[in-house]
Amino acid sequence: MEISIQNVSMTYPNGKQALQDLSLDLQSPSLVGLLGPNGAGKSTLMKLLVAALLPTAGAIRVDGQALPGAERQLKARLGYLPQDFGLFDELTVAQFLDYMAALKGLRDARDAIREAIGAVRLEAQAKTRIRTLSGGQRQRVGIAQALLGSPPFLILDEPTVGLDPEERIHFRNVFSRTAQERLVLLSTHIIEDVQSVCDRIVVLHRGTIRFAGTPEQLIRAAEGHVGVFWERDAVRAPGLHVTARVNTSQGIRCRAVADALPACARPEEPTLEDAYLYLISREAAQ
Amino acid sequence: MGKIFRYECRRLAGNRFFAGLLLVLLFYGWQVLSRVTLLGVAHTAPFSPWSFGDYLSRMLPLLWLGALFLLTFFTSAAERRRAVLTAATPVRPAAYGLARCCAALAATALLALAVLAAAAVFYGRTFGWYGWGTLLVPALVTLVPPLVFALGSGWLLGRLRPWLLLPWMLIPFLLRALPLPACLGLLNGSAFTDRPLALGTLDPAFSLPAGAVAVQCALLLLGAALLAIRPARRPGR
Repeated sequence: MEISIQNVSMTYPNGKQALQDLSLDLQSPSLVGLLGPNGAGKSTLMKLLVAALLPTAGAIRVDGQALPGAERQLKARLGYLPQDFGLFDELTVAQFLDYMAALKGLRDARDAIREAIGAVRLEAQAKTRIRTLSGGQRQRVGIAQALLGSPPFLILDEPTVGLDPEERIHFRNVFSRTAQERLVLLSTHIIEDVQSVCDRIVVLHRGTIRFAGTPEQLIRAAEGHVGVFWERDAVRAPGLHVTARVNTSQGIRCRAVADALPACARPEEPTLEDAYLYLISREAAQ
Repeated sequence: MGKIFRYECRRLAGNRFFAGLLLVLLFYGWQVLSRVTLLGVAHTAPFSPWSFGDYLSRMLPLLWLGALFLLTFFTSAAERRRAVLTAATPVRPAAYGLARCCAALAATALLALAVLAAAAVFYGRTFGWYGWGTLLVPALVTLVPPLVFALGSGWLLGRLRPWLLLPWMLIPFLLRALPLPACLGLLNGSAFTDRPLALGTLDPAFSLPAGAVAVQCALLLLGAALLAIRPARRPGR
């Protein structure tokens, strides 16, 4: 599966420009992490990729065929979990998945439903009405419908929202396994999710791509720009962004990113979160 | 699409709102039958096509309201959130829409059948009369075109602005209060109360003016056409 985004711009009817001249190539197998602050354009990009929106400029190609002409071919190979979605509360989990399987045109619906329910660990709730499920269980139903029929292209917008830590780790592994032979685009605010499973990262900010590469490349770019210091020693350094404050018996220990660290800061190995925050803080400063 | 149709029928007809609507229809229908239809209209028998047509025209506003209420299941804010998932599937929007319209039509037909069944029970219990075949034409002519039009127009309005369905529900109540020309007489019931008197014979055979038939045909065709309209997509949307 190959998705090519060429010079895509998207301006909403109210005049808000969500994406500007964005170009990106995605190829399977890969698990691509899409990062960016709120309003960066992540959800808009995902909506364009599922043909829920038409771009105001540029083109999106799926295996060489331009959208929206290839819309049905794309959707036949797509599993999509949006950030905000509704379920048919009147139906049971199995009935809802059966409904979605009919819309997806799956032939072996029964097996696909069993597999999807197993993947999200909802076997005990298969015959439970969706209305009675908890928020986390509803999210898992959403993930199940995306996984239904093992689509070769998965788009997951904040998939682990509302899940407990154990479930988050479980789904991280599910997505990682899925991406071994497929293309998975994962948008999240939880850097930890991206760090542990994604082989490629795309950072969006104000509608443009600010970074596209491996997690290691992003981390390398932040080397020498992450440090720790005691809050009592801190001076007001321009461009210094404190990313963590930890109360200790000796005082408050701060972790910060900056183009130039203050003299009191001891350099530290950057994590992916540091690297992301460093990138975004630089962009914000510009 | 058969499976989608069955699930949508289950969603529409298997909830408490549908049951409530059904109870209201049966209660109101029985009141009309036992207070108005019992006496017969325009000097005709209570089980004449004219009296039966009058009963149906009195029930039409509630059936119209019910049909549009069923459509709100497909146009509500909650439904729009569900559409985010269904729109990402390869199903043809026209086929999916058709399956859902057919489900709304089937659920509306169930409501109409309940209204007809109430009349059948009333005629059988009160008069021992079972000649329902003679009532088929007034039933089809009175109910099918306006209800198909209600679904077609409601389907379009609901997709444009869901709140438009609410004022649209009141249209037949308004029509019943207005003095309409003879060609629109089926919509306010005057075709069943005024025409037999105008024909000048005792207990005349059921007939309709050509204008009224044309209006009903136009409503039926327009309703079907509106069901088929699909909004065009534009960049940025």
